[in-house]
Amino acid sequence: MKVTLRTDVLTNNNKAAEYNRELFENTNTLVINLMSSPGAGKTTLLEETVRGLSDKYRIAVIEGDLATDRDADRIRALGAKAVQINTHGGCHLDARMVAATLPEFDLDETDILFIENVGNLVCPSGYDLGQKHKVVVLSVPEGNDKIPKYPTMFMRTELVLLNKIDLLPYLDFNVEEAIGDLQGINPESKMIQLSARTKEGLDTWFTWIEGALAACKPQ
Amino acid sequence: MHEMALMGDILNVIHEDAGKKGISKIQKVELIVGDVSNALPDALHMAFEIFKEQNKVFFEDSAALVIHREEAKAECVVCGKEYIPDQKLAFCPVCRMPSGKIISGETFQILSYEGRQ
Ligand SMILES: Nc1nc2c(ncn2[C@@H]2O[C@H](COP(=O)(O)OP(=O)(O)OP(=O)(O)O)[C@@H](O)[C@H]2O)c(=O)[nH]1
Ligand SMILES: [Mg+2]
Ligand SMILES: [Zn+2]
Repeated sequence: MKVTLRTDVLTNNNKAAEYNRELFENTNTLVINLMSSPGAGKTTLLEETVRGLSDKYRIAVIEGDLATDRDADRIRALGAKAVQINTHGGCHLDARMVAATLPEFDLDETDILFIENVGNLVCPSGYDLGQKHKVVVLSVPEGNDKIPKYPTMFMRTELVLLNKIDLLPYLDFNVEEAIGDLQGINPESKMIQLSARTKEGLDTWFTWIEGALAACKPQ
Repeated sequence: MHEMALMGDILNVIHEDAGKKGISKIQKVELIVGDVSNALPDALHMAFEIFKEQNKVFFEDSAALVIHREEAKAECVVCGKEYIPDQKLAFCPVCRMPSGKIISGETFQILSYEGRQ
């Protein structure tokens, strides 16, 4: 007996993502899914973002890692709410894992929730978490080939944070070429050049976040 | 590499559906896997074999996984040209502008399964 299903493999994930999305919308929480390869600077950027914006907004963070609570501890040290998800070998966060942590947050009292995904430029791009925005961090030591090599990430994100630009003088990374490559894969994607170390460009990132906040506020 | 987890999800969906239809042995599973879906056919085959080995009650010994590839295709929103995207996948080969949109190749579906009572 043959049974035709034509079911999306990610059906269960997508259902959980819709559940999350509805909750975020009902509680008016701006949710940003932050992705990158390991070590591009996601946590450092989040530390700087908490430092820069927490006097104006209530910020919370979900930290996704294979193991350890280190990243969540770094955020908590700054006084922000952070919950760690350990994927125990899993290479990405999925919507069900995120849904399971949400009871730990008071979303009515949260303006922005950042989700730091597991460091990986492939798998996280395929999983909807219910976020409003998908942002990818690319750091200049990773080299120019990352945008063309990982098109499925860059075609599904709307903003590239080009991090560690303080290192540009020492590396052969070509910013113009990266902008051209991004155009070729996803012309709608924006790019912000910054350094979480020297804080150069952080104000542009904060302006982007505030624009996103304004867009999701009810009238 | 999350093909083990994906295959687990696929088999859960099939298991549930088969239960409702009174099917107890699976003979064949067919998937559609797009070229830009991030799922790797080889790794899916490997995962299928591992699950089959571990669930001898649910699978026929000869049970097979069949994967239908869906080619990546893009279409230019300016001139309507359909093309096979290369690395600069949004670049229309005619207009030479980043005006292409992916129209196929993102599918990752369970097409069907076959089994018996
Ligand atoms: N020079 C320089 N170093 C940076 C910058 N941002 C982050 N780093 C350093 O890069 C290293 C990795 O930073 P993390 O913030 O831990 O990176 P991550 O993306 O969170 O890493 P995973 O969570 O493991 O994927 C740390 O040693 C940071 O100090 C930057 O703008 N410039
Ligand atoms: Mg981190
Ligand atoms: Zn064209």
